[in-house]
Formats: sequence, structure tokens, C-alpha cells
Amino acid sequence: MEDANIHRPGFRFRSWRSAPVGVSTSDAKRPTILPRRRNEPGAAIFLSMSLTDNHRLKKFLTPLSRQYWAAAGVVCLVTLVGYPLQAWVNYQTLALIYLLAEVLLALVVGRSATLLAALLSAAVWDYVFVPPMYSFHIDDLYDGTMVITYCVVAFVAGELTARLRTYQETELRAKLLSESEKLGRTLLNSVSHEFRTPISAIVGAAGNLRTQGGLSTAQERLIGEIESAGARLNRIVQSLLSAARIQGGQLQPRLDWCEVRDVINASLRESAELLKGHPVETRIATGPQLAKMDFFLMQQALSNLIANAAVHTSPRTPIEISARLEGKELLMQVADGGPGLPVDELEHIFDVFHRLPNSKPGGVGLGLAIVKGFVEAQGGRVTAANGVKGGALFNIWMPAADNPELPEENYE
Amino acid sequence: MNNVMTNETSTPDLSALVIDDEPQIQRLLSTVLEANHYRVTTVGSGQEGLSTSARQRHDLIILDLGLPDITGVAVLKRLREWTQAPVVILTVQDSEPEKIEALDAGADDYVTKPFSSGELLARLRAAVRRADRGKAEEPVLHFGNISVNLAARLVTRENQAVKLTATEYALLRLFVQHVGKVLTHRQVLREVWGPEHEQKTQYLRVYVQRLRDKLEPDPDAPVFFLTESGIGYRFSAS
Repeated sequence: MEDANIHRPGFRFRSWRSAPVGVSTSDAKRPTILPRRRNEPGAAIFLSMSLTDNHRLKKFLTPLSRQYWAAAGVVCLVTLVGYPLQAWVNYQTLALIYLLAEVLLALVVGRSATLLAALLSAAVWDYVFVPPMYSFHIDDLYDGTMVITYCVVAFVAGELTARLRTYQETELRAKLLSESEKLGRTLLNSVSHEFRTPISAIVGAAGNLRTQGGLSTAQERLIGEIESAGARLNRIVQSLLSAARIQGGQLQPRLDWCEVRDVINASLRESAELLKGHPVETRIATGPQLAKMDFFLMQQALSNLIANAAVHTSPRTPIEISARLEGKELLMQVADGGPGLPVDELEHIFDVFHRLPNSKPGGVGLGLAIVKGFVEAQGGRVTAANGVKGGALFNIWMPAADNPELPEENYE
Repeated sequence: MNNVMTNETSTPDLSALVIDDEPQIQRLLSTVLEANHYRVTTVGSGQEGLSTSARQRHDLIILDLGLPDITGVAVLKRLREWTQAPVVILTVQDSEPEKIEALDAGADDYVTKPFSSGELLARLRAAVRRADRGKAEEPVLHFGNISVNLAARLVTRENQAVKLTATEYALLRLFVQHVGKVLTHRQVLREVWGPEHEQKTQYLRVYVQRLRDKLEPDPDAPVFFLTESGIGYRFSAS
């Protein structure tokens, strides 16, 4: 991965959102999806496999024509069963049996088939059972009222059942969707934890050896190697997890007022190691420069841009970071004095795993994709260009239209 | 362990309780802490942590936020029902909401994995020192060329009085009374502006910048009023 020029703009991580989401009625029994972290990846498969098991009947009935046939079949069945029963029960009771069948049918078929069954059963009942038999003709007012009432009750019962079912399904679907997102998050946290624990042990143990002292220069150097490799591994894990969060829609930016100076300082502190030897200039407009951002995401985005500038230019190349309010937006810029970006690459530069031709080994081509993902998740945008002096210039624009309300105060 | 080590920063004879389910981290922490003269007890779950802490007193508790049985924050809230021992939490990056929740629930500090043992030890020492000092308040505090006289409500920089508004002073007082401690946005807003302004982070951003402009040697590269990314602030005396 280190030295290949991978250019696959179409590549996507497997998205959690695209994972099959099924309807399962056994969900109510399942406790809030697995405890934090101590879960098995198998749980994901279990969730996606428990689809539609309890809805086999519904699946069978899915095409509308089949639902109509089922409606007609149920009416026929009740009629056939009801016919010999006439000797013991009167035709009013038979209406109740039709009604019962109608409601049961509504539990499995859609609205239109339920309506069909209601009308059909009313007609058949009237034709076969209501005196005079084998005629649609109705003799007395009492029977007429009965037929009309039956129609209305059958229709309303069917409609209510159908509504209830639609509502339940929507709820279940929403619940499953949120659970599958939660599962995605849980798995990411689990992976994050599984990677970081051994890295912590490696970095911590190496550091501890150093503090115990009594080491030769060569041993000191080797410990330094372990520590810097650990730090690098940690950065790579961080990048992969960030990219997975972006692609899986797992980012939940917490937007709050941030002072851009703070964010820039935090990014510079984070990148201090990489910036060694590069003169860094920050230019921030005077007065409060506030915008609603997710501090941590913006810090990561800026750190990635700064790291990019530090790594892809020769040592001692100056790097300039500036910020100012421009119109209704806050503009943050990271510019370097390097050779600049090839113009025909500008379009693809933010793609996942995209690396510029001839770029130095090291890095996996995720940095800029993460910048774009993080900035856009906060409602901003990022562009790449070449500055007036020819070096690479990255612009991050964040909306800053609604100025915060600030308290007025006088000196005592 | 190496008992001959005489480090001026070693903390003699403090008992530490480590609540972490990862054997590797348990071993690492035991080694590091014992080398620095802590008496270490390690437990692997929140329940064990609670029962151990209820049975015996510890000077210091190190708590991992991702425990298998109960959440770290829940453990912390229960711990705080009977002990005021400093609690330093271990956490990973990307878990800011959890960190904030834990700090609001009474954690004293946090360390993000992977951490260096030097960083961890420094945090532990600072937490223990703050707990020891307790509420005993010194009337005049000095930071670099700044002095804050809490009794006289007087702030000077290079012996020149610095003019502060009432809110600026309240904010500064809160910071200097919690030297080295992470204060979440919520904690500061609640303390200085009152509970009804807990969400108004913009106040805090503006006022911290004003304090920096008045008191920092270089306001754009602060050394006293440090920002803890997305969490809050830490006032550093050095």
C-alpha cells in the first residue's frame, strides 16, 4: 500500500448503511444491542440474517395479484364453511364470521386487498345468505341496514388493522436502522479499542524501559524506533477508523462555537513532531473569529492539511496558516512554499486512496479524503488550489453567518 | 522491581487502584506504578472495582472508560458516593462525549491511549497534589510574571495592575483555583455565568481570549490558558 499509486475514485468502503436491514419481530426480546465493545462481529451477521423469518407469509403474498386471490379465497372459504352451518346459526351470525375473516386477512395483506375482501364478502353474504337467498334483492329494512352496516364495519376494521400494521412496520424498520447504525458504531469502537490496547502496551513499555535508565546509545535508539513506529501505527489506525466513520455515516459532529485560534493551536501542537524544521507562520485576523464547528473534527482536518504540507515538501519549506472571516464564512487556509499541485490532479485530490504521482512513500492516501469528509460533515467545504507563489493552497470554508450573541460588560 | 531508583518525582507509598479489563494494560500500569513506589491493586471489572474501593481506601484510582460490565461513567458516579480520591480516566481518541461526561461526573483528569508513562505519571502526581492541597487557599498566587491576589481582588502583570471586568476576574479566579485541572465548558459556564448559561460556549471562547490578550506573553500561542480540544480548558502554572 505504501508505494503503489492507487487511483480508484470509485472505491468505497463497505458502508454500514448499505448493510441489509430486515424486519424481525423477535427484536423486542433482544436487549439493547450488545454491551459496549465486548461483542462478536458475528452479531452483525446475525442481525442481517434474522430478516423476514417471521414474515414468510407476507413475503409469499407480496405481489398484489396474489393478495387479491387470497382475499377472494378467504371469502370463498368462509362461504363454504358457513353454508352447512346455516342449519344451526342464523345469517346475522355468519356476518360476524365474515367480519372475523376480514380482520384476520387485514393482518397479512395490503389495504386494497382488504377493501376487495370487504366488498366481496358483503356481496356474497347478501347473495347467498340474506333472504331471499341467491339474490341481491333485500326484502326488509332490517336486512338492508344490516348489509350497509356490515360494509362499513368491514371496511373500517380492515382499514384500522392495515394502518396499525403499517405503523408497526415503520417503527420496526426505524428501530432496526438505528440499531444497525448503533451496531456499526459499536463495532468501530470495538475495533478502535482492539487496535489501541496493544499499541498502548508497545508505546508504554518502550517508554518505561527508557525511564528505567542504564541503556546503551544503541538501545536508546532502538527504543526510539519502537516509539516512533508505535506513534505511526497509531496515526494509521486513526486514519482508517476516521475514513470508516465517514464512509459508514457514523460521524456525529457536535457543532459548538469555537475560536479558530484554539483550533489552529491544537492542530499545530498535534503536528509538532512533523513540523520540525519547517518555519510556520500563523496569521489570524484580529478580534474574535468564531464559527460553529466540531472542535475535534476541525482540529483533525487542519492537522491532516498541516501534515500534508510538512510531509510533501522538502525540509525547511515554510508553511503558512491563516484564518479570517470573509463575508458570511470563516476561511481557514493552509499554504506551503512547495512545488504546488499538478493542475490535472486537483479534481481527484480528495478521493479515498488517491495519491499524487511521485509522492513520497509513507501514508496511505486517506488524509485529504478525511479532511473533506470531516469538513463536509460540519457543513463546510474544502478546496485545493495553487497559491500565488505556486505552492499548494488548501481552503476550508465554514458558515459563520449567524453571529453569536455576546454579553455586554463594563469595567468595574 | 527496581527499588534502588531514587527519583525526586517518585511518590512514596501511595496506594493506587487500577480498574481496567485488559491484562496487558494492567501489567503495564502495575510495572510503571510500582517502579514509582505506588502500591498497586488491579481489578478487571467495574463491579470488582466498586467492591474493592468500598473495602479499602485508595489514594488514587485509575479507571478505564470501556469496561465490559458497567460503563466507566456509571462506576465513577457510584465511586463518588463514598470516595473523594482522585480518579484519572483512561480513554481512547474519538470518545469526547464520554470524556466530558466522566469529567462532569467528577473525574479529575484523563489520559488518552496510547499514552507515555511519563505523561501518565505527571497527571497522577498533579491529581494527588491537588487532592492533598484540598480547599486550603493561598491568598496570592504567582504564575510567570502574573500574580493574582485573591484577597485583594488584584491582578498584576510585571507589577502593573491589570484591569479586568467582573466576569473576566471570576473566570480567572476559577482557573487559578484549579491549576492543572481540566475544566469542562459546562463546569466553567455553570460556575461563572450560572446554570442557565451552560450551553453558551461562545461566552467562554470570547472571555478566555480576552484573558489571553491581557495575561499571556503571546496571546496566539497561550502557555497559561490551554485549550483541551473539544472538552474545555486547563490552566497551566508552568
